[in-house]
Amino acid sequence: MPNSASPVTTELHFFDAVSDKVIPAYRVLDGNGQIGEAFARKIYEKMSLLPALDNVLYNVQRQGKISFYMTTHGEEAAVIGSAAGLDDTDEVMGQYREMGVLLWRGFSLNAIMGQCLGNEEDSGTKGRQMPVHFGSPAHHFHTISSPLATQIPQAAGVGYALKRDPARRGKNCTMVYFGEGAASEGDFHAGMLLASVLGSPTVFFCRNNGFAISTPAAEQYAGDGIASRGPGYGVKTVRVDGNDALAVLAAVREARRYAIAESKPVLIEATTYRVGHHSTSDDSFAYRPRSEVENWKKTDNPLWRMRRFLEGRGWWDEAAEQEMKDRYKNEVLAAFRRGETLKRHPLGELFTDVYGGEMPWHLKEQRDELSALLKKYSNVWEPWKKELAKFQGNGKEML
Amino acid sequence: MHGLRQHAQTSRFVSRSTLRTLRGVSACQGRRYAGTTPTEAQEKPPPAGGELPSIATSKLLRVTRETALKSPGLMWTSEPESASPDGGRETRKMNMYQAVRDALGIALSTDESAVVFGEDVAFGGVFRCTMGLAQEYGKERVFNTPLTEQASTNGIAGFGIGLAAMGQTAIAEIQFSDYIFPAFDQLVNEAAKIRYRSGGQFNVGGLTVRTPCMSVGHGGLYHSQSPEGFFLGASGLKVVVPRSPIQAKGLLLASIRDPNPVIFMEPKILYRSSVEQVPISDYTLPLSKMETLVRGSDLTLLTWGTPLYTCEMAMSMLSSPPPSLQGEDFVPRDARKANIELIDLRTILPWDMEGVIESVNRTGRLVIVHEAGRTGGVGAEIAAEVQKRCFLKLAAPVKRVCGWDTPVGLQYEKFYIPDALRILDAMVETLKY
Ligand SMILES: Cc1ncc(C[n+]2csc(CCOP(=O)(O)OP(=O)(O)O)c2C)c(N)n1
Repeated sequence: MPNSASPVTTELHFFDAVSDKVIPAYRVLDGNGQIGEAFARKIYEKMSLLPALDNVLYNVQRQGKISFYMTTHGEEAAVIGSAAGLDDTDEVMGQYREMGVLLWRGFSLNAIMGQCLGNEEDSGTKGRQMPVHFGSPAHHFHTISSPLATQIPQAAGVGYALKRDPARRGKNCTMVYFGEGAASEGDFHAGMLLASVLGSPTVFFCRNNGFAISTPAAEQYAGDGIASRGPGYGVKTVRVDGNDALAVLAAVREARRYAIAESKPVLIEATTYRVGHHSTSDDSFAYRPRSEVENWKKTDNPLWRMRRFLEGRGWWDEAAEQEMKDRYKNEVLAAFRRGETLKRHPLGELFTDVYGGEMPWHLKEQRDELSALLKKYSNVWEPWKKELAKFQGNGKEML
Repeated sequence: MHGLRQHAQTSRFVSRSTLRTLRGVSACQGRRYAGTTPTEAQEKPPPAGGELPSIATSKLLRVTRETALKSPGLMWTSEPESASPDGGRETRKMNMYQAVRDALGIALSTDESAVVFGEDVAFGGVFRCTMGLAQEYGKERVFNTPLTEQASTNGIAGFGIGLAAMGQTAIAEIQFSDYIFPAFDQLVNEAAKIRYRSGGQFNVGGLTVRTPCMSVGHGGLYHSQSPEGFFLGASGLKVVVPRSPIQAKGLLLASIRDPNPVIFMEPKILYRSSVEQVPISDYTLPLSKMETLVRGSDLTLLTWGTPLYTCEMAMSMLSSPPPSLQGEDFVPRDARKANIELIDLRTILPWDMEGVIESVNRTGRLVIVHEAGRTGGVGAEIAAEVQKRCFLKLAAPVKRVCGWDTPVGLQYEKFYIPDALRILDAMVETLKY
C-alpha cells in the first residue's frame, strides 16, 4: 500500500473509533466485485483519457503555449473511481487535480482546452484563472481556487444547503477532494468538525499521494495518515487502496449512500502515489529518486490494474487499447489546435463580475481610465496593439 | 532592546562571537531547479520601439564591487577584512534568491537560536531561497512545516510567534504572499499586539516572515498579489520590500535583527532577473529609510519592489521618447527635459515620511506606483500625508498608478499591472497640470 503500512482487507468496514491496530485498507479489484461491462469499460476509458490529455497539455506548457499545468499521473483510479461512485448531480468541490471528475461527467475536450488556454470558450473563469482551475455549474463542479483547503469547510456548507433544499434533500451529497498536504490546513479540521456537528451530507475524499510538492507525507503528519483523524470528529471513516478503481468506486458509493441517508459526513482516505511532478513548475527529481517513480509505475499502476481486470473478463484486448489510444491522441490534439486559434474573452471582462448588480463608481472610473489610455496609445504603441489583438474584437468595446 | 530575546540568548545559547567563527556560508550551489514556477521570473524582451532598460540591464543594479560597497546606509556587522579604505570587503555575483539564501546562512551562523521553516523549505524552497541550508545547519534548525499557514501563515505564523515569544529567532517562509491571509489573524491580532497587550513584557521581535510577492505576468489571481497594504493598519508590525540582491540581503538581516516582527516581501520576478555584486560580509541596511535612486527636481516618482524597474523604463521613455511617442500629444518637448526623482520606499510600515516629504517639497509633484489595487492601497496613505504636509508646495494633485480594484485576471495581466506607458502618461499629465 502506498504511503501506509496498512494491511489490506476485502471487507468494507467504516469505523468511528481507532483501535491500536493500523487501519486496514479496503480493496476489491482482486475479488469478484459485481460490475457491468459497459460501466467497467467506461471507467478504464476515462482513466486513460487523463494521461492522453496530460501528455499533450504538459508538453504544450513546456512549449510556452499555456502558462501552467498539473497532471493526474498515478491518481487516475482515485479520481475516476470516485467520480464513478457519485451521482453526476452531486456537488463537487475540487482541489485542482480532479479534472477526471469533469471528464467522467462529460465535460468536453474543447472546454478543457478553453480553460487551459484561457480562450473565449473558458466560461469557467473567463480567462481569469490559471490552467486547471475548472468550474462548471452544469456539471455541479465548483470553480477551483488556488488557496489550499478553503473548499473543505465550504463543502460542509454546500452539504448543509443540500439538506435544506427540498428538491435535493435525500438525493445528493457533496464530494470534497483534497490532498494529504491540504489536510494539514486548519480549514480541514474546521470542515470536518462542522459537517459532523451540524450534520452535513458531505464525503471528504483525501487523495493521499505521498507528496505535497516536495514535502513527503512522512513530514506532513506523525499519526496514522488522514484516516485516523475521522473518529476524533465523530466521522465515519474508511481507508481505501486508491490505485484500485473498483475499491474506490465501492467505498464512495457506500459513503454517499450513508451520507445522504443519515445526513452525516464520511471521510475516505485513498492511498495513491503522485507519479508526475507536482506541476509544470516543479522538478520532483530534486527531492525523490527517479527510480522510485519508475518503480511505482511498474509495481502499482492503476491503469494497468484496471486493464488487467477488464482483460480477465474478456472485455478488453490489445486491439481495443490501440484503437482507444489512437483515437484519444487525435481528438486531444485536434481540440488543442482548435482552441489555440480562438481569441480571449473581450478585454472589458477585466472589470466585470467583481460585483453583482451595478458596477460601482470606482470600477467604472478605472475602466474609463484604461479606455482613455487605450484610445490615446493603442494605435501608436506596438506592445499594446499586439496585446489587444489577442482579445475578441481586438478590445473594440474599450475603445 | 530585544528584551526577552537577549535574555534567552545569553542564558541558553552560545555568544555571538563564538558563533561567528562557525560561519562560512558557502555559495548557493546544489541542484538547480529545472522547472520554472508559475510566478517565477520569465523575462520578456523589452517592448518594441526603442532601447529601453530592462531588469537585466538596469542602471539601478550595482554590478561592480566598487558601487556595491558604496550602497548608501550600508552598515557592516563584522570587522573589516583589511586596513584598506574599503575594508578589503569582497563581493560576489548573486541573484536575489542567492542573496536571500546568503542572509539566511549568516542569520543561522551568527545566532544559534535562529530557525528557518516553512512549506518545502528543507529541499531548498520553491524559489530556491533555502538551498542547502538544511544540509548545512541541520534539520532541527531548517525544516519543512506541514502545510499550515495558519501556523506559519497562522500555523506557520503561530508557531513562529511561539518561538519568538521565547526570545528565539524565527524566520518563517510563506510560500506565496497570496497565502498569507490564513495567517492574518496571528500576524495582525497576535504578532502586532503582543508587546502592547503585555505592557511591554512580552514581544515577538524575533519573528520575520518572508514571502514572495508581486506579479510575474502570468500568475493570475493567486500568484500575483501585493498584499503589503493590508498590513498598514497593523502597527506593531514592520513591512519591508527589497528591490535587488544587495538590498534583499541587507534589509533581511536588518529585519531579522530588528526588535519587532517584520513581514519581508520579496518580489518574485526579481529572484533570478536581478543580479548584483553582493558584499559577502555580514551587513545591514536601515529599515524605515527610503532611498533616492535618481535625484531630480521636477517630479517625485515613488514606488517599491518590481515597479522600480518599470519606472526606470518610463523615465527613459520620457527623456527620449521612442519614435512612435514623439508627437506633442504624447510626450511634449517640455516634459522631456523634466528631472525626475526616483525613490525606493523600501519599508512600507512604518514608512519614511520625512524623506518623502522632503522630496515632494522640493519637486512639487508626486506620482506613486504600486501593483496592488488603488482603493485602500499604500498610495492612499502616502497621498493623504503628502497633501497635509506639502499642500502649498504641490503643483499638481498626487497621482497614483496602481493595479485596478479587481482581482488579477490571468489573461488581462498586461493591462492590469502598471506598465511603463501608464507611468509615462501619469508623469506627463502631472508635469502638464
Ligand atoms: C494556502 C496555500 N498554501 C500554499 C500553497 C502552495 N501549494 C500549492 S499546491 C501545494 C501542495 C499541496 O499538496 P497536497 O494537498 O498534498 O496535494 P497534491 O498536490 O499532492 O495533489 C502547495 C503547498 C497554496 N496553493 N495554498
